[in-house]
Amino acid sequence: MRRAFRSRAVGAILAVALVVTACGSGDGAVDGEPIKVGSFAFNESVIVAEIYAQGLETNGYEVERSLNLGNREVVKPALESGEIDVVPEYIGTLAGFLGAEQSADPAATWEAAKTAFEEVGVTLLQYSPAQDKNAYVVTAETAAEYGLSTVSDLQPVAGELVFGGPPECPERDLCLLGLQEVYGLEFAEFVSLDAAGPITIAALEGGEIDVALLFTTQGIIAANGWVSLEDDLGLNPAENLVPAIRSEVVDAYGDDLVTLLDSYSEALTTEDLTELNRRADLDQEDPALLAEEWLTDNGFIE
Amino acid sequence: MAQPVGAPRDMSVWESIESFLSEPETWSGPGSIWVRLGEHLWVSIVAVVVAALLVMPVAVWFGHTRRGSEVATAVVNIGRALPSFGILAISFLILVRMGAGIREPWAVLVALIALAAPPMFTNTVAGIQTVEPATVESARGMGLTEREVLTGVELPLAVPVIMEGVRIALVQVIATATLGALVAWGGLGRFIVDGFAQQDQGQLVAGAVLVGLLAVVAELGFSKLQRSATPRGLRTAR
Repeated sequence: MRRAFRSRAVGAILAVALVVTACGSGDGAVDGEPIKVGSFAFNESVIVAEIYAQGLETNGYEVERSLNLGNREVVKPALESGEIDVVPEYIGTLAGFLGAEQSADPAATWEAAKTAFEEVGVTLLQYSPAQDKNAYVVTAETAAEYGLSTVSDLQPVAGELVFGGPPECPERDLCLLGLQEVYGLEFAEFVSLDAAGPITIAALEGGEIDVALLFTTQGIIAANGWVSLEDDLGLNPAENLVPAIRSEVVDAYGDDLVTLLDSYSEALTTEDLTELNRRADLDQEDPALLAEEWLTDNGFIE
Repeated sequence: MAQPVGAPRDMSVWESIESFLSEPETWSGPGSIWVRLGEHLWVSIVAVVVAALLVMPVAVWFGHTRRGSEVATAVVNIGRALPSFGILAISFLILVRMGAGIREPWAVLVALIALAAPPMFTNTVAGIQTVEPATVESARGMGLTEREVLTGVELPLAVPVIMEGVRIALVQVIATATLGALVAWGGLGRFIVDGFAQQDQGQLVAGAVLVGLLAVVAELGFSKLQRSATPRGLRTAR
């Protein structure tokens, strides 16, 4: 009698468990492999990656984060091999990196980068109006001392100045390599720091470097009264933000995923980025919280 | 159009190493192997010397008065657990805030001194304490003052173990000084960090090999030094 009761009880529990797990995908959860969101190793990239990640999670997608991975030399292979699925990219530098045509025209640059990247299984979704270009920054004092307002103004004095940037800078078209080729600048010394992060900022503040590689959307430039030299010869192409995503992930998830990511790209502006960066760099606010706030303010999260 | 940047160059590792070794900047100028080697060695030696000056006096006192062997053990265990990278990052942030130069090795020195101190402390305590009590007693019996017992008997007999501690510290410091490159300093770690960022395998491998070689040379060189500093009566065939 007791044994029969126990086995019926077990049966009932199993049945309930089965039903619960069957419905367990929950309200609005999306089935499938988790989407792996990656980012480069600077604040803005982490913030935008968090926007993608939290936005996707709110809509029921399962997300895994691999943030602060490193520079493009690290991130691109990770994307190609499937270790990450999506990363916020910049059309201009990406095009250059892939050996494709880059110019000041966003649409053309985007098209060129997209075609090149698709050869290795990664596609680009809609690009955002928000742009973030490389900035060549000096302090107000340096600008006054040498009379600097454009990058060309550096030509006569570069030999006396120290340039600070990320370790890959000497190899990059939009960093030292390009400054040499397009502007003819030969600096006295190059100091290997980080990607427009706290070390570079501290080095410029402390006068250990004269010219720093930063990013145009870093609000700390204006906040510190620094001068971002005008790129008068147009070295920098259009640098609109765009989600770079593995083609097979797009195929697996379809239009819903694309529409979602496109909506974030559309809503993001250069002013947004500048403000978010300022709060991250200067006020040391947490990128994940900044992303959540942006999503809420723009109506993507309740 | 332009060659894709940053794709792993179509070079084998050997070719990349050859390419690195054939560049003039590798051998002369502010970023040359000699400069980095010099920086690396200099900072390593300073770290070991400063750490020794900080901990040896206390360790000698502990050893001579035959106290605190538990403290010595605890020190080395905690010391091993200290994350050098963590200390480096925290020191860097604090020192920068205090106005120290970014490119000065202060932060690295703090981390390396913290790394070098525990093994030297523990070995000094242990070295003195393991001198035969009978020997020490007979020295006292012969009328030697405490200071004479220490400098004439205990320290000379403890030299092998003490120098062992210094050797351990030096080799660990040489290997760990590479971390300095992560916070804008130089040293041989510069080749590793920059080589990695630029996907320049030649530079990266060269840096790693040089650090390894320097550590081995220091190890062997110091062993010789140890042997000649050991009182003749104590030398055993190796």
